[in-house]
Amino acid sequence: MSKTLTSLASILLLSLCVSAFDKGFSSCNCEIEGFFGNRSNVEVKNNTLDCVNYPSVHLRLLLSAVLFPATATMEPDVSIDTSSIIRIAVLPIGTIHLHLFRKYAGMLGRHHKIELSTITSFYTEHQKSPFSQQPWESGSLKFKFIVGGSPPSPWEDFQSNRKIHGVIGICHCPSSPDLDSVVEQFAAACKGYSSSLVQRCFAFSPGDTQLADGNNKGNKLVLFPPADQRTQEIHLQTMMQDIAASLLMDFEKWVLQAESGGTILKTPLDSQASLSSEEVIKAKKRRLGRAQKTIGDYCLLAGSPVDANAHYSTALELARLTGDYFWYAGALEGGVCALLMDKAVQRDPIIEEEVKYRYNSVILHYRKSFIQDNAQRVSPLSFELEATLKLARFLCRRELAKEVVELLTSAADGAKSLIDASDRLILYVEIARLYGTLGYHRKAAFFSRQVAQLYLQQENSLAAISAMQVLALTTKAYRVQSRASIPKNAVYNDIGPSTADGGKMHHHLVVSLFESQWSTLQMVVLKEILLSAVRAGDPLAAWSAAARLLRSYYPLITPSGQNGLASALNNSAERLPSGTHCADPALPFVRLHSFPLHPSQMDIIKRNHGREDWWAGSAPSGPFIYTPFSKGDSVNSSKQELVWVVGEPVQVLVELANPCGFDLLVNSIYLSVHSGNFDAFPISVTLPPNSSKVISLSGIPTKVGPVNIPGCLVHCFGVITEHFFKDVDNLLLGAAQGLVISDPFRCCGSGKLKTTTVPNITVVPSLPLLVSHIVGGDGAVILYEGEIRDLWISVANAGTVPVEQAHISLSGKNQDSVISIGYEALKSALPLKPGAEVTIPVTLKAWQLGLVDLDNIASKSTSVKATRPLKDASSPMLLIHYAGPVENHGESPESVNALPPGRRLVTPLNICVLQGLSFVKARLLSMEIPAHVGEITENALDGVSADNSSDSSRHAADRLVKIDPYRGSWGLRFLELELSNPTNVVFEVGVSVQLENGSIEDNCSEFDYPKTRIDRDYTARVLIPLEHFKLPVLDGSFLVTNSRSNGDGGKSASFSEKNKKAELNASIKNLISKIKVRWLSGRNSSGELHIKDATQAALQTSVMDVLLPDPLTFSFRLVKDGLEEVEKKDTPSKGPVLAHDMTPMEVLVRNNTKDSISMSLSITCRDVAGENCIEGTNSAVLWSGALSGMKVDVPPLEEIKHSFCLYFLVPGEYTLLAAAVIDDPNEILRARARSSSPDEPIFCRGPPYHVRVDGTL
Amino acid sequence: MSSTACFMIISRNDIPIYEAEVGTAPKKEEAAHQHQFILHAALDVVQDLAWTTSAMFLKAIDRFNDLVVSVYVTAGHILLIFVTHTRLMLLHDSRNDDGIKSFFQDVHELYIKILLNPLYLPGSRVTSSHFDTKVRALARKYL
Repeated sequence: MSKTLTSLASILLLSLCVSAFDKGFSSCNCEIEGFFGNRSNVEVKNNTLDCVNYPSVHLRLLLSAVLFPATATMEPDVSIDTSSIIRIAVLPIGTIHLHLFRKYAGMLGRHHKIELSTITSFYTEHQKSPFSQQPWESGSLKFKFIVGGSPPSPWEDFQSNRKIHGVIGICHCPSSPDLDSVVEQFAAACKGYSSSLVQRCFAFSPGDTQLADGNNKGNKLVLFPPADQRTQEIHLQTMMQDIAASLLMDFEKWVLQAESGGTILKTPLDSQASLSSEEVIKAKKRRLGRAQKTIGDYCLLAGSPVDANAHYSTALELARLTGDYFWYAGALEGGVCALLMDKAVQRDPIIEEEVKYRYNSVILHYRKSFIQDNAQRVSPLSFELEATLKLARFLCRRELAKEVVELLTSAADGAKSLIDASDRLILYVEIARLYGTLGYHRKAAFFSRQVAQLYLQQENSLAAISAMQVLALTTKAYRVQSRASIPKNAVYNDIGPSTADGGKMHHHLVVSLFESQWSTLQMVVLKEILLSAVRAGDPLAAWSAAARLLRSYYPLITPSGQNGLASALNNSAERLPSGTHCADPALPFVRLHSFPLHPSQMDIIKRNHGREDWWAGSAPSGPFIYTPFSKGDSVNSSKQELVWVVGEPVQVLVELANPCGFDLLVNSIYLSVHSGNFDAFPISVTLPPNSSKVISLSGIPTKVGPVNIPGCLVHCFGVITEHFFKDVDNLLLGAAQGLVISDPFRCCGSGKLKTTTVPNITVVPSLPLLVSHIVGGDGAVILYEGEIRDLWISVANAGTVPVEQAHISLSGKNQDSVISIGYEALKSALPLKPGAEVTIPVTLKAWQLGLVDLDNIASKSTSVKATRPLKDASSPMLLIHYAGPVENHGESPESVNALPPGRRLVTPLNICVLQGLSFVKARLLSMEIPAHVGEITENALDGVSADNSSDSSRHAADRLVKIDPYRGSWGLRFLELELSNPTNVVFEVGVSVQLENGSIEDNCSEFDYPKTRIDRDYTARVLIPLEHFKLPVLDGSFLVTNSRSNGDGGKSASFSEKNKKAELNASIKNLISKIKVRWLSGRNSSGELHIKDATQAALQTSVMDVLLPDPLTFSFRLVKDGLEEVEKKDTPSKGPVLAHDMTPMEVLVRNNTKDSISMSLSITCRDVAGENCIEGTNSAVLWSGALSGMKVDVPPLEEIKHSFCLYFLVPGEYTLLAAAVIDDPNEILRARARSSSPDEPIFCRGPPYHVRVDGTL
Repeated sequence: MSSTACFMIISRNDIPIYEAEVGTAPKKEEAAHQHQFILHAALDVVQDLAWTTSAMFLKAIDRFNDLVVSVYVTAGHILLIFVTHTRLMLLHDSRNDDGIKSFFQDVHELYIKILLNPLYLPGSRVTSSHFDTKVRALARKYL
């Protein structure tokens, strides 16, 4: 029993340490206040006492029990002053509630010092006072109220101040109505205090009957009638003065008695079995000195230092003579106290030196008095240590730290030799307190831990509670504080001063954030706290310690140890009520992973009043990430801001890590939001050993305003804790610098992550919300290259606010593949009410795969699977910017001035382009088919002219081969496209040419070109005749610039060169755009082949030949019977030209330029062998009319005829050729003829015409 | 005769950056903890004492039971004068002051070599196994 009480009492005592640590003041003069003030402090700091909830019996035991163990010699809280303090036991009488007793005792505590001047009215001098030098004006009596009392000490003869000189009972009348029994109980209680001289029982709040009754109970019972605080205090003060006066008178009595002799003063140090006569004689000799010393003690208690000094001097003399070293030291000690009392100055260096000197001799003499033979039983060592502590306390100042440390170190050395464990306990407590006062927190923590270990050696719960509390005091020095014990604002104070030192401190600052480096010590301390908390039955403290241990030191704990901690956590949680909060987080580690941006469906765009087109600029408008124009915006966006919408669920990604070797079940985890406008949804997670997991925590903003998310609330191991993101960020920062043991995320295999800061989050009122889907499934649209298809996108308003504004734009790559968007459909549906839906048609044309894509396909087809659809970021996106009404009527008015933001709906058009018909190459072929000279229709002859050409083309289109044999096709060019079909479907390719004056009938004719079927894995060639493209007139527009540039050169050359090129390109484009290669595949795939680039390349060189007509066109025809024309139908079968017959013919020369041309025309005729058969030696053809050197003028855009006759002598094939040398050619002609020098004659030649001459049969 | 010796290097921030039990006494975990506790507590004394003397070797500045703490205070980093110096602390039960002094001087030299490593961040833990081996060898030699 005494042990348990010891430990409990020590809690009180240790609570003094708290004040000493915290305030750094020496509590020498605050005996009872200290006890009480700090006792309540204990309860505030740790609610153990409340938790245990003592029954009243227990309470009685506690309070009436001894404060200090009987075995202990040492006393806590000793100082030099102690010798002059009168001890009064304060006992509860009757039943009294703890807090009332505390309150009354606290009131007593204020009267620990009674001035002598105030007690003169109560003092009556019966005899001549032995205290002749008593300072009645300045002196005082000092009291120490020992709450609960204490047993008599065996040393009270040696140090009279150890005696209990008075007993004060405290009784609360309403709870103990019978005053008689109160008086009895008090009398019984006083029996234990034989040394007491004055006994009083204070009864508070008596009833009227008790008041009437109580006055008869003698002067021991003092009733305090109910009154206000002040009156009661005055009453109490008066009573205390009365007690003081009584004590003084009793002291006088005692001293007078002692002077007359007869008191035997013994200490346990004196041998008990004093059998030898030598001993008796020795004792007799010593008696006088001892009496003098004791009288000195009483003088001190009576507040008369001068008297005391006189007696001590005598005692010193006598003790020295008798070799009574122990009493000598005692007297010396008393002398110091008297000296200090007399001088009443603390900081006089001379006195300080004196005190030091005298105390050193005190210590020396205590040491001298050590007697070997009873060393096992009793030793003056504790007095030596006490003296050391007294001196240390006296000197305990920062300036004298060195001396104090020496004293304390030597005191600590004495601990080993102390016999009694309680003494050691008290010694360590005192050393810890003194170090704390000195500001040596680590030293204080070290000795506090020693105290705790002594407590832990006693295997009971009360000692464990004490141990736990003592250890709790050390946590600050070891930096393993529970977060609950750190005041909120103090957290930053640690960092405050170091930041003030400037930027250089950064490293130090970082280091100071991580105090885990004394990890061994920290772990030991936490383990001891855990052990003591478990023993003390404090589940919350145990949980907190285990949590701190596990969270901070998991890398240093073996997996089995981790398991043990986990089970400790669970066991503690079982004893806690559900829903208990703890300030110290355990596992898992939680860090902010990211704030997912709004899904593209829900993007929020700020809009302002000024701009109608608020959407512009908000979308990425180009291929570049950075554009100088959007720079201003990007600066703003760097300050992270996030907008959440009331009522729309949001998600935050956090990463959890469990670096320990057990399965961690997180019962629930949710975002901790302090701003109160957010509903967080808890989720439950299981983390396997050594793993990390990114989870998404969601919630719904409920009110407009800012949202603040400092961390997560986690319900794990049965307790709810708050995990701050900032802590983990600091931890990771430390890990990055190698200052923290381990990075919990990295050891779980999670990658390094940039620290995410919580952005400023604001919640805005509800907005409309559009959702879109592609009708017919949201899967990718698979198209072959060039395929054209219509899509329907259905857009619905899923929000609660109508859409009033909407704008569609495109973004991303391959925007040109969207041919048309049914913007009107959306426009007409506005305002789109909540729930309403609208369908927007979109026409797509698949783009062509680039080289890279093709390479990809090639590589993939070899490796994985042939023609896997290419799904990449190349698809365009449809952006719909929309916004609700400008003013939200439903919302609060202050939000009106800020325009509610708009939103953006991004609908990716998932297009998978498959390789379709692939283009291998394009070639320009020219084909020369000589014309036959025959009876050709006028139409055919005039075929060059625009009107007729269309006419003839229609004729020609009827036939497979579009060549008029009578016109020939001299210089006709074909574009040959070589196409291959690498796909596994069949393609049909049709070529259409859009003609100049495109009309319906032309369109009809387009598909009249026969379709070419290309089977899978085959290659085919498609020929596109490039006729009908010739311009009707050889216009100067192309060539003038050209020639001019040739002529001038100089500075304008580059310009005109460029011009020329541009025009050329334009004309090529124009040409190419007229040619369309369409394909069909299967039932519903159709598209167009992109041939532009290919054809452009093929045409580049010879476009002029294709486009431009010759300046002169020549043609021949037969003239029969004058002007009569030969029927066309007859001619093919039987040649109309007969040998030995005069054949009249005409050559037609047409001028295609806008100027008249004069030339000399000549006609030649060649036979099959190519011999000229008009001239030469054996000419086979005779002729009439002019055949060469004819000077002819042809007016612009006109035609002339020249008639002549030929007489073929031999039947066979002949070729007629017309040629002309142009006189004075202009620049256009020169350019057309590509002549290099201006002097060069321009020579024009017509196409050859075949004449078949039949023989006469 | 078995001896106890616990050697620690304490950085400027009062954080241990190296610790080793270099005594010949059989190793006990409990004892090792106690040694660290003693050294930790001795820092309070060192902190005050280091400013009162120019000596680097402060012998037997603190003790607990039979164990004595000797400290060797390095010259500190000039740039960071507001922080205290790096301290080499030894907890020992031998009285061989000269040996301890030599030990400190040699370990200081080793520590300077560590400091000269450009990859070593001053104030972080010394993890070099080479250093550890050398320190233990020195301890065998001198203590």
